Amino acid sequence: MLLHILKKDLKRKHSMNIILLLFVIMAAAFLASSVSNLITIQGAVTSFLEMAETPDFITIALSEEEKSDIDTFLKDCAYVTEYEVIDCHTIMEDEIEIISCANDPGRHKYEKGNTVCIETVPEHLMKVFDQEGRLFTLKEGEIAIPKLQAELNNLQVGDILKLSCGDKQREFTIKLIVKDAVFGTQFMGFKRLFVSDQDYEWLYGDSMSVHTLLYGVNYEDKDAFMSEFNQENFQVVSSVDGGTIKMCYVFDMLIAGILLVVSICLILIAFLVLRFTIVFTLQEDYKEIGVMKAIGISDMGIKGIYLLKYFAIALFGSAVGLILSFPFEKLLLFKTMANLVVQDVESRAEINLLCAAAVIFVVILFCYSTTGKVKKFTAIEAIRNGGNGERFSKGSLLCLHKTRKMPPFVYLACNDVLSNMKQYLVLTVIFCMGTLLILIPLKAIHTLKDKNIIRSFNMQPASAFIDSGNMEKYIGEKDDTLLISDLNQVKDALKAKGVEAEVWLEKEYVVSCYGSDPERLCNYYTSQLIGKEEEDYDLIEGKLPVFPNEIMVTEKTAEELGVGIGDYVYYQYPDREEAFLVTGLYQSMMNMGNGFRVSQKAVFESQYLGGLFVIQVEPVDDMEEEELKELLHQLFPAYKISTGNEYISSMIGGVLDQMDALQMLLSGVVLSINVLITVLMMKTLITKERGEIAILKSIGFSDQAIKGWQSIRILIVLGAAIFFGTLLSEPLSQLSLGPIFGMMGAPSMKLITRPFEAYVVYPVIMLGVTGTAAYLCASSIKKVDLKEINTVE
Amino acid sequence: MNQLAVKDLCKTYIVNKRPNNVLRNISLNIEEGEMAAIMGPSGSGKSTLLYTVSGMDSATAGKISFFGKEIEGLSAKEMSRIRLTQMGFIFQQMYLLKNLTIYDNIVLPAYQADGGRKNRERINERARELMRKLGIIEIAENDITEVSGGQLQRACICRSLINQPKMIFADEPTGALNQQNSKEVMKELNRINKEGTTIMLVTHDSKVAAKCDRVLYIEDGSIKGEMSLGKFEEEKLRERERKLSGWLLEMGW
Ligand SMILES: Nc1ncnc2c1ncn2[C@@H]1O[C@H](COP(=O)(O)OP(=O)(O)O)[C@@H](O)[C@H]1O
Ligand SMILES: [Mg+2]
Repeated sequence: MLLHILKKDLKRKHSMNIILLLFVIMAAAFLASSVSNLITIQGAVTSFLEMAETPDFITIALSEEEKSDIDTFLKDCAYVTEYEVIDCHTIMEDEIEIISCANDPGRHKYEKGNTVCIETVPEHLMKVFDQEGRLFTLKEGEIAIPKLQAELNNLQVGDILKLSCGDKQREFTIKLIVKDAVFGTQFMGFKRLFVSDQDYEWLYGDSMSVHTLLYGVNYEDKDAFMSEFNQENFQVVSSVDGGTIKMCYVFDMLIAGILLVVSICLILIAFLVLRFTIVFTLQEDYKEIGVMKAIGISDMGIKGIYLLKYFAIALFGSAVGLILSFPFEKLLLFKTMANLVVQDVESRAEINLLCAAAVIFVVILFCYSTTGKVKKFTAIEAIRNGGNGERFSKGSLLCLHKTRKMPPFVYLACNDVLSNMKQYLVLTVIFCMGTLLILIPLKAIHTLKDKNIIRSFNMQPASAFIDSGNMEKYIGEKDDTLLISDLNQVKDALKAKGVEAEVWLEKEYVVSCYGSDPERLCNYYTSQLIGKEEEDYDLIEGKLPVFPNEIMVTEKTAEELGVGIGDYVYYQYPDREEAFLVTGLYQSMMNMGNGFRVSQKAVFESQYLGGLFVIQVEPVDDMEEEELKELLHQLFPAYKISTGNEYISSMIGGVLDQMDALQMLLSGVVLSINVLITVLMMKTLITKERGEIAILKSIGFSDQAIKGWQSIRILIVLGAAIFFGTLLSEPLSQLSLGPIFGMMGAPSMKLITRPFEAYVVYPVIMLGVTGTAAYLCASSIKKVDLKEINTVE
Repeated sequence: MNQLAVKDLCKTYIVNKRPNNVLRNISLNIEEGEMAAIMGPSGSGKSTLLYTVSGMDSATAGKISFFGKEIEGLSAKEMSRIRLTQMGFIFQQMYLLKNLTIYDNIVLPAYQADGGRKNRERINERARELMRKLGIIEIAENDITEVSGGQLQRACICRSLINQPKMIFADEPTGALNQQNSKEVMKELNRINKEGTTIMLVTHDSKVAAKCDRVLYIEDGSIKGEMSLGKFEEEKLRERERKLSGWLLEMGW
């Protein structure tokens, strides 16, 4: 009897079992690969940074000589355990050129994208590795470049670059593409190229140009060291600590994290499917269960056969999932591996195994609790009610004769859903989760692709961005005269062509300052706009600084300094202190969310100028971005001109690519879930409703109308789920994306949704695919035979 | 004119690769306005015959013409149109849609047939009139779980009549009913027949068959015999029943 039931079950409900199996496989594969990836990446980042001997603190300073007063300080500072200074040469636009590029033979201009320095291969701190994670040496005439720079310029090993300095110049063959733990990520605006000691000496040894000094420091006591360091108020271009560097790898973990969320959703869905199939099976086997009880088989024995079946499915599914998780994991890791040196990836197999085992365990546990229903089926009840397991039928809420023009089969569909809400709840929940899985990442992508995202990078939106490739030349100037004249030159050139435009840029100063606690000094960038009246930044609270002594602070920095609106921030100069009144809080993804902004009236000595952004151009009258770009290109052929979108994607392009890929993956997963669930639901419904289908056939409903009735129900449920999902996506994305943007420095990021894509394109695709699946699946109504149900057993 | 003409009808099911000849060369005619009963042992192919001639099941061989029209070449869609507008079905179990009220169940085929949805008022009137005639107007808004088997079967009859079909097929319409309910249902069927609707019903009950004009006996998929009783008259019921039992005994019932 037991085996008989099992056999019947496997034969009759094979599609149900297969779908359940597929979910278990997906859940196990996703869970195993995402958990294992998360652990691998986490471990890899730590070990990579360790391997590279990433210092606790890095600061970059400019100096006339190979040494600066920072050396003296570091030598004497009691908290410093070890430090290293690397002498580099910051290259200007005209000091580097592509001689041969196999992928792009016409290319000669070297795109820097960031500040780019030449240095020798580091031996102690901040080490770099080849693609296999090994240390390397360079011979004369060889150069090594980091991956992102190679990608930016479409370069590969064997291509030739020419470096020049003053009247010296030399050609270099790219020997290898390196992995730079400290500066290799997107988020670092400083990139290093490496040449041999001899070449470096020959090229830059007796150069008169400014030295860029890269200090790596290991300390004992962070707070004590930072306080002393900031007290000194060195003129540095930029500083980062080890924690920030690690943060730069957050994005690599983010993808694994999102997949983890997906796999948890999948497990939930697998449970819902499991529950659904178990309840359905029990209802169908009502009679048998009653009979088995009547002949004295215990509840446990009856449960046993169901547990056995689901154990088999869970075991098999998890095993397949486990096997699949390895290649899947590799696939996902591949992108990350490009930035990291990942050691011993293989040894993580036990984690996958553990995850797969967890899936089996949870499935069985869940199964055990759901089959508890067996107890409720008594022998007498079974014999009395045998014929039908249907027990939750409710009266109709809609009345057919009150619907006006609705075709009857549409009415039937609506009425079914309304009178059997409970039955469709599982389906609604699953569809709703799917909608969320699509909408939430989509919101992240739309936010990142929005023109206004530029405001989160501490800049104002503009139609064109000009990178002269040599923004460094303004640093070291006595005042802004040269800068202003260059801005005016762009403005005038455009005007001569009949385009009235605003031209501006952002300057960044570095001065140490403190807030409520004079001991807690920091020296983040202070931004100041030049060339444009109107200021429009990502203000969160308060107002923009207007007067010379007013300042705006990012939320993160405000917290760190312990200041709020109305408090003062004190800038420390060797000879004096200057107080700024905090008028507002803003946010910026630049520098991991740290920074200040002063009004244009504030005066800074030019020696504190630490950097400049690109020149931004916004025409007064409406103008196509492409058209403007074209015009600027004609006017300044030597400069790199980008449109708003291009500039944004050059800053976060890699991130967007990964996000887009993820979105594709998620859409695929969600669509397949929807299709599988639909097939499952349709199959069970058709089995359950053979009677109804037969009646409709007999009274002359065409097959199309019956199929329509069956599939419209699914679409109604999906439509409702999309609606609820859309409603929920607003608070849930705030909840989930908020902290992620927060980590990147913009905790109050306003999420953007492109309504057409989110509320039209994706829902239509979902409805289309799911509807088609439902309709195709409904074809099995053809097999429904009236005779077999019109006989009383 | 023959309402239904069947010639050399064969139906073979293939189960486990072995053919099962359920209907073998059945030929029969049912005249317009006739009320014919099909009797025979269980598994003899009565239901199959009913579903095959009504086009719900396909015939393996033979000719079926409904109102002079061959149903062979008709598409599934055309066939369902014919079922919708010209045929009515009544089953043994009271098959109504459980999520609909009695009333909605009854008007459903008519609404479906009413493509332009312009005649709903007329349909509603007709439904009410039918329900009044069959004495179930009080339960119109009830759920199907709230009423008795006899009432349900009468509701099914109402449904089968809503589109004013030319012919009604009934597969053991009294099979699941008690004596009293069974009598009521038959009374209605006789009345409908009198009003001009052709009826072909399958039954196990000789009392039911005795109320029909003609009885066909099927065994092993072939017609073994038939007996004409003439138009039904209430007064001659006893006599008809006796005559029929005698014949059935002969047939091996
Ligand atoms: N869909 C089917 N597939 C295979 N065999 C069937 C099918 N429907 C009916 N049969 C067989 O046809 C025979 C006649 O069935 P049926 O017409 O229901 O008999 P009755 O209604 O006279 O009791 C039975 O032996 C049954 O097993
Ligand atoms: Mg039968």
